[in-house]
Amino acid sequence: MNFSLMISPSDLLLLLPEIILTVWLCLILIIDFSFPRFPNEQLAYLSITGLGATLGCLAWLSAGHVTGALFANMFVLDGMALFFKMLIVGSTILVILASIDYVHRFKFFRGEYYFLIVMAALGMMFMASANDLLSVFVTLEFSTFGFYVLVAYLREDMASNEAGIKFFILGVFAAGLLAYGLSLVYGETGQLVFSNMKLTEVTPGLAIGFLLIFGALGFKIGAVPFHSWIPDTYHGSPTPVTAFLSIAPKGAAFAILLRMFFIALVAFKPIWVLLLVAASVLSMTYGNIVAIAQKNMKRLLAYSGIAQIGNVLIGLAAGTKMGNDAILFYLLTYLFANLGAFAVIIAVSEAIGSEEIHDYSGLGRRSPFLAFSMLVFLLSLAGVPPLAGFVGKLYIFVAAMKEGLYVLISVGLINIVISMYYYLIVVKKMYITEPHDSSSIRVSGPIKAVLYVCLAGTLIIGIYPQPFTDWVVSATMMFSGLADSPLTVIPPTISNP
Amino acid sequence: MSDYALLYILFAPFLGAIALIFVSNRELMLVRGIAAGSAFVSLLSSLYLFYAYDYVKGGFQFVQKFEWSHQLGISLHLGVDGIGTPLVLASSILLFAGIFVSWHIKDRTKEFYIWLLILAAATIGVFMSLDLFFLYFFYEMSVIPMYLLLGMWGSHTKKYNEMTDPEGLKLRDSVGFIYNFGSNSKEYAAMKLVLFLSAFAVAALMGILLIYKYAGLNTFDILVLREHANLMHIPVLGTTLDKIIWLLIFFGFASIAPLWPLHSWSPVGHAAAPAATSMLHAGVLMKLGHFSIIRVAFEILPETTRELMPIAAVLCMFSIVYGGFVAYYAKDTKYVIGYSSSSHMGYVFLGMAALDYISLTGAVMYMFAHAMATGMLFAMAGWVYDQTHTRDIPSLGGLANRMPFISGCFVIGCMASIGVPGTINFIAEVMIIVGSWEKYPFQVIVAVVGIVLTLAYLFKMMRGIFYGPMSPNYSHAHDAVSAVDRLPLLIMITVSIGFFFFPMHLYNVVRSGVDPLIAKITRVVPLADAGAGQRLEVRGDGGVPLADFPVPITASPVSGGQP
Repeated sequence: MNFSLMISPSDLLLLLPEIILTVWLCLILIIDFSFPRFPNEQLAYLSITGLGATLGCLAWLSAGHVTGALFANMFVLDGMALFFKMLIVGSTILVILASIDYVHRFKFFRGEYYFLIVMAALGMMFMASANDLLSVFVTLEFSTFGFYVLVAYLREDMASNEAGIKFFILGVFAAGLLAYGLSLVYGETGQLVFSNMKLTEVTPGLAIGFLLIFGALGFKIGAVPFHSWIPDTYHGSPTPVTAFLSIAPKGAAFAILLRMFFIALVAFKPIWVLLLVAASVLSMTYGNIVAIAQKNMKRLLAYSGIAQIGNVLIGLAAGTKMGNDAILFYLLTYLFANLGAFAVIIAVSEAIGSEEIHDYSGLGRRSPFLAFSMLVFLLSLAGVPPLAGFVGKLYIFVAAMKEGLYVLISVGLINIVISMYYYLIVVKKMYITEPHDSSSIRVSGPIKAVLYVCLAGTLIIGIYPQPFTDWVVSATMMFSGLADSPLTVIPPTISNP
Repeated sequence: MSDYALLYILFAPFLGAIALIFVSNRELMLVRGIAAGSAFVSLLSSLYLFYAYDYVKGGFQFVQKFEWSHQLGISLHLGVDGIGTPLVLASSILLFAGIFVSWHIKDRTKEFYIWLLILAAATIGVFMSLDLFFLYFFYEMSVIPMYLLLGMWGSHTKKYNEMTDPEGLKLRDSVGFIYNFGSNSKEYAAMKLVLFLSAFAVAALMGILLIYKYAGLNTFDILVLREHANLMHIPVLGTTLDKIIWLLIFFGFASIAPLWPLHSWSPVGHAAAPAATSMLHAGVLMKLGHFSIIRVAFEILPETTRELMPIAAVLCMFSIVYGGFVAYYAKDTKYVIGYSSSSHMGYVFLGMAALDYISLTGAVMYMFAHAMATGMLFAMAGWVYDQTHTRDIPSLGGLANRMPFISGCFVIGCMASIGVPGTINFIAEVMIIVGSWEKYPFQVIVAVVGIVLTLAYLFKMMRGIFYGPMSPNYSHAHDAVSAVDRLPLLIMITVSIGFFFFPMHLYNVVRSGVDPLIAKITRVVPLADAGAGQRLEVRGDGGVPLADFPVPITASPVSGGQP
């Protein structure tokens, strides 16, 4: 392994999105510190501009099919990395838009809030590209670092502090597991890069090592039995942070999971399928059943998120290229539905100061637009046609059906019905129960923009998914040989000196 | 127009619903105008469809195909055969009538019409889907609007628990009470309906996915699957796969039909729903079940259908008798009509189970006829409820004095529902009975008893509402006098009576859809010109693939096929 720090200008192209965002990050921090009177609303739009430029750059790279690896395969840019980066940057833009009103609740450090969000996004972008053990650890911690602060941002609020402490302690614990797992795997194989590990037989060290890594990543995505931080942290965090936490880190962690399972561990598929089936069944069933009892919207979505991750794991358990396509597609549909639902929660809590389901009574009369948006997002999460979530679920089921995972599909289908119950409870509150107070609710501009984007995404993907399925299929081209032979290194189109 | 008729029928209500989003609720006439206009476009196109359907050619006509997702093998493949055509017509008639029936809804009118249009359009979508995915897509899509329609504009059945039977005992939903636990709110009804239907719908979805997997053709297209899917003789779990798939599909879709043990959501739902929703619900939504069984199980698994259809023949008896008795003792007008609907759907199952040319044709015609009859009854029950704010039959009475037009129409509605000569129901019922006599004589006797029961409970209800002494509480109730209020009833009555006198086109259209299907399932070939009752028995052994089987039919091609 000859490690070279010489970077040619053409290599910089692969890093261009990250470079843009890093420069922008510094800019935000400098402006915030140098001009204390700079209105933080402007700072938000400034961050969005930078993220927009990054998104544009990613789209340009994606359109040009630019792929390659840097730093001795430590950093890899391929279709999948680009997809997840776009997912992350897109969700960051929506989260910042949704935060603009919410930021007034913070007494201090309003400027740094945007800085931290963008920094977490940057960390997750690196995560999507992480291709060896070392970069997995560094990028994972890099992205989590921002979240540790963000979760506890409401300093006066005990729930937020509790959320921060819980998230921090469990997060650090997971990081410890991860480091231990990585060291075991390195010790067994002597390799850092996933694609160089020529694994043929299972040794105890290897098995424990990968289990620990799976545990740490399972913590990130919130799969049962690594889910225990989710409800309290989601409940206590500032709502935009919860929204961010509910989608972006999951996407980034799935990028690593896909690389780990389908590049390093592809030879052991019959073994890890069982692990994923168990995690999937537990996540779906636990998440959906516990969600029924929730009284708080954010907790409801926390448990529903656990269940949704169970659905995504069905696609991972399928272990085929189609399964991976379905995962990417599902996460895309989940992005719009989930962020949209959180945006509605933000708008409602701005107006009535409550996140309890009970206080959603009569929302259909108080704000038809908000109620309709919530209806669409919840039904998409439940998987009702013609919304995006239905196509996502069906895609996953079809992929799993082709692999003959009948039990998993049956559990998934039954869970759709269970989930419909608690989503409809919210719908009932919004539309059928009469309001306690019939004053109408005003929705601010930025939230409206988020809601329009999410509604458009949910409806368009549901009604005409073809362009999006094409996109995810081309994004996972790297797995196209999955059924036949294990994958080798991604051929770098831009050579490394 | 000829090629795109299906698109007009399907998308006119959807576009109407989208247009309504941008209209303010304050402009009431505009809201109603858009809803009625889009329903009218749909109605005109489906009338055109019905009369332009070429029954000599048969098969699927007006086919439209658009690629939707090539990764999953899904295309928006629309087309109607002789079975789908009358049901599309019935849906659009009921939608159009339903818009006028709900003309006086004041609360959130716009939203009501949006959900009603989506409900009807989704229902119509099922009747014309030739792709399993879209069949399920529209099916599931029709369930959610029901939740909102029931919940937002429905009504509680407040007195349900206090109602007593003649001996003074508490009357409850007997068997249904086990999982009904005395609840009678509209929220409960709506939730029960959605969860029940969704739970069985996912069973059907499992069946569809299994078909997709084992056909191995990477397509959901029904026309491809019925020709090329070979799902027979795959052993699994001590039985064969095709049986499992068939049972999943059959019970998955029979829940909405509703077949006897799976019916309990239905009367509760009917009772809670507003009039127009009950009309669509009983009129066409229930037929989604029969239709989907015919379209999926009959088309793709004909051999298994022949083997397992006796299940339906057994269960339909319970449907008929149980529904009839509960309807007789029920005291709530909508419960009576709701149970009568679920009882009458038993006839359709009987007609299907006999797997006979005459009986299946009768079953499909009965679906059409029942849509009109039950639509009328629900519309009038809704009118009476709007005027008196009660559906409790014992507290009503003598309303014929106040509403002569409604009571007159009610008599016609009851006649139609019973199947008195003069209405299309008579022809359909006779065909079911004649067609299934040979195979299921006992069930036919039960069905005839069911007709007597129908007579009893409908006349009892009619007497209870319209005749006898009138309570002074209802002296303010008034009749349907305006054209808007009378139009929907007149439309349905005209259709119901009109088809009695001119049934041949309906019969020919349905027959052209039934012939290839029954020929494929039973291998009994009708001799189209040799007079009724004469058959040519052709027995093939089970192993011969059906595609190789030559079927000489003069009237219509067996394969159906695309034009």
